[in-house]
Amino acid sequence: MNSYQAGDFAAATALIEELSPRLHRFFAAQSVSRRDADDLLQETWMRIHRVRHTWRTGDPLLPWLFAIARRVRIDHYRKSLRTTAREEQVESISELGVPASASAGKGEWEALLAPLPPAQREVIAMLKVAEMTLEEVARATSSTVGAVKQKAHRGYETLRVRLSAMGLGKDRKGGTA
Amino acid sequence: MNGKELDTRIRKAADALPVVSPALLTSITAGLKPAMRPVKPLAPTWVLATRLFLAAAGVAFVSAASAGLAGVESLGILRATVILAALALLLGLAATEQVHSMIPGSRHLLGPLPLVLSCCLALAALFAAEFHDYRTTSFVASGIACLIAGLERAIPAGILVWLLMRRGFAINPVAAGATAGAVAGLAGVVFLELHCTNFETLHILAWHTAVLPASAVLGAAAGALAWAASRLRTRSPIR
Repeated sequence: MNSYQAGDFAAATALIEELSPRLHRFFAAQSVSRRDADDLLQETWMRIHRVRHTWRTGDPLLPWLFAIARRVRIDHYRKSLRTTAREEQVESISELGVPASASAGKGEWEALLAPLPPAQREVIAMLKVAEMTLEEVARATSSTVGAVKQKAHRGYETLRVRLSAMGLGKDRKGGTA
Repeated sequence: MNGKELDTRIRKAADALPVVSPALLTSITAGLKPAMRPVKPLAPTWVLATRLFLAAAGVAFVSAASAGLAGVESLGILRATVILAALALLLGLAATEQVHSMIPGSRHLLGPLPLVLSCCLALAALFAAEFHDYRTTSFVASGIACLIAGLERAIPAGILVWLLMRRGFAINPVAAGATAGAVAGLAGVVFLELHCTNFETLHILAWHTAVLPASAVLGAAAGALAWAASRLRTRSPIR
């Protein structure tokens, strides 16, 4: 990061190659299409480049990076709300132009985390997809470690109850068949 | 299902998420190449916070010196010391929080709303403890004059805070604006304590304290406007 700030293009390339997969997966885990995740990644690096001087030696990198990524996602969400508010909804047009493979691989994640509210989903994505620590997530979300723990715990509880219920449902089906 | 099994399932689902394409990475790096130039990192938090503190205190003292220091002269040394020391403490806290709000991924001591509320409560407690004249003469007229005078000093202090922190990046511009407004509002309160000679408890409790939340609201509005303006002029260099 220091070399990137010093204008070293090779360092910037290395940083982009190392951190982009995490950022992209973080966006992909937030209920956005593959195309939107690509756009968000580009926008995030553009913004990171513009504010790269705000990272200081000794500061943890991931919270800084994900705080910016999170802001980009929020801005994108608000922009899409404004856009969709003016659009006339036409059934079955939503997937036009999106390749069939665009949402491939998201099915299991979507199905698993669907019942969670966005805040819990975001925390779980940061912890499990971006592999950040509780302290890093707290900094990235301008929150406290306690609040992050609480969100993760509640999210886990919801998932555990849901998956257990699904497992129980299977057993019952098996019993009656 | 236990926690470990759930964890494994979540990780497995995360591993199946789509991966970033090498072509996209090439496009991002190619887009950044023309814009590569060295940048100077921001100064440490304590340096930035000290600058904000001195700027806000400077505006308060210079404007009070030009308008007259009748207030602090009438207070007496002990009471003036207690009040100014408490205001300095709150200003230091607000300045530190303002720096944190302008650096992504910073550890926040307080959000803008708890900051403004706790500062208002602290000021109210301080004024209630130090002033015991419970008369009210021309409460509204003199109160509005003080509120306007405090805000008139808060606005230049707010502009100075913005100039000093313009290299920062507000993750939440509205919250950062509110925090900057709180710093500026405290400069307005310091000015009033140095200048105003109306020592009626209710006047000070209501109108001097009101400068802080009013300035924070103005700061939040300015932050929202700045954010909207930046959204309009931002154009992506990456294609």
